[in-house]
Amino acid sequence: MSPSPTPQHEKGPALTELPWYRRLNLLNTTLVIFFLAVIFSGSQIEGNERELDVLKNLGRFLSDFFPPDLSVLKSTGSALIETVEIAILATFFAIIISLIIALGAAQTIGPRWLVFSMRMLLNIIRTIPSLIWAVIAVAAMGANALAGVAALTLYSTGYLGKFFSEAFESVDMKVARSLRGIGADPLQAFQYGIWPHAKPLIWSHCIWMLEYNIRSASIIGYVGAGGLGLQLHAYQEFHQWDRFATVLFCILIVVTVLDFLSEHIRRRIARRDGSNDALSD
Amino acid sequence: MMQDKKQEPVLSARGIGLQRGGRWLFRDLDLDLYAGEFLAIVGPSGVGKTTLLSCLRGMLEPSEGSVSFKLSGTSAHKPEDLRRHFGIVFQELQLIPNADLLTNVLCGRLGRFHSLSTLLGFPKKLRQEAYRLLYELGVGENPHKWAKHMSGGEKQRVAAARVLFQKPKIYFADEPASSLDAYYAGRVLGLLRQEADEKAKPVLCVLHNAEHIQRFADIALSLNQNDPKAHKMRRVRPVNEEAQV
Repeated sequence: MSPSPTPQHEKGPALTELPWYRRLNLLNTTLVIFFLAVIFSGSQIEGNERELDVLKNLGRFLSDFFPPDLSVLKSTGSALIETVEIAILATFFAIIISLIIALGAAQTIGPRWLVFSMRMLLNIIRTIPSLIWAVIAVAAMGANALAGVAALTLYSTGYLGKFFSEAFESVDMKVARSLRGIGADPLQAFQYGIWPHAKPLIWSHCIWMLEYNIRSASIIGYVGAGGLGLQLHAYQEFHQWDRFATVLFCILIVVTVLDFLSEHIRRRIARRDGSNDALSD
Repeated sequence: MMQDKKQEPVLSARGIGLQRGGRWLFRDLDLDLYAGEFLAIVGPSGVGKTTLLSCLRGMLEPSEGSVSFKLSGTSAHKPEDLRRHFGIVFQELQLIPNADLLTNVLCGRLGRFHSLSTLLGFPKKLRQEAYRLLYELGVGENPHKWAKHMSGGEKQRVAAARVLFQKPKIYFADEPASSLDAYYAGRVLGLLRQEADEKAKPVLCVLHNAEHIQRFADIALSLNQNDPKAHKMRRVRPVNEEAQV
């Protein structure tokens, strides 16, 4: 006997699918809006009207990079050192200022009005890009490396202040409170009850900021604030792309090494929390 | 001899009561604790032993009644002015997890120093003293290890070392031996008992273990789950036996 096809009545209740509008959760809605925006933008943005061989242009431009003119390596080296110095000083000053601001901006430490105003201040600082800070600093202090330090200090304070205050907030206040309970004063309660918890997190943010500042420091020279950017700008102006390439490669090497180092150190700090016995086990 | 010390109670509570969420945890509680007495606070979980202890050391304002102190060498009576003389073992220990054991023990004495003198750490002599306490309680093997890397029982011994190092005038200990084995439980409670006997310091201690209460306490105060007024004070050890311990 051959198997008979399943009779219609054995299928059971029919599945009712959700209507399309019931599937519009936040994720799907924003996804749809994004694609609509892509279509709209695509129809608006226009390039040059002329027919251009983009690949050929690009090839010609990049071929100007080679071979890089290594004769400028020496001046690039000293500009590189200046860039790193700008970043180190800016990070240092930003750490000092941020620690003070963060104490006020942490909800668990500062009074409400102070938390609010400090956060507003940090938000405002953060909305201004580093290049704009550099323009402002150069206008005020002239085109020199010190302007670069000032610009990056302000810029990094916006970030570090936020990170530090979050680091303080992540600390369980119970320990500090119990130290107060056995007679410690507020500074002691902070030093022994809050600081040890926040320290690894804060130092990890500082290393990240230093790395970030070295990248930033190499670009703010474009507006005159010292460092590698100054050189980049000059070589671009005179279409000395082979020299431009040398500077670019130097930045690439330094940033890659730094990125690797900072990532490695930060991960170790996070994992071991910098414990003194970390080396023994 | 013991009677001389008992002229005036070190801690005296009059008619204290505490209301939590419309329910009285305890009421009409009178307590006189004299120098060198070891009081065990007992009762089932959730009855309010920890809360009573917090009330007595002034961390919680009682809903009614009052607590006053008469500690030797101090003129203050109110608990909030006497905090640095209170040695506390918290139920949740409250050690600094990211600091080494030595620092944790040293922190017991923060109240005796100005913040500027502890800004760069503690003097070497104190560090040696703190280490000896860790060693005595069997956690001296690696004093530079962080507290968070220790087991529960080890942490509890560090907390005990911290409170003993503090040299307070009165002890408030909330289940100081709850995660210790029999040997170290006896060790920690024995050291508290010793503080009471040799230095005439009063000890208030939340205890669960009946044997510990028999062995170490002078008085047991038991709270009652159903009736906030039905707390009972019972002398575990007759007065004249105290000197022989």
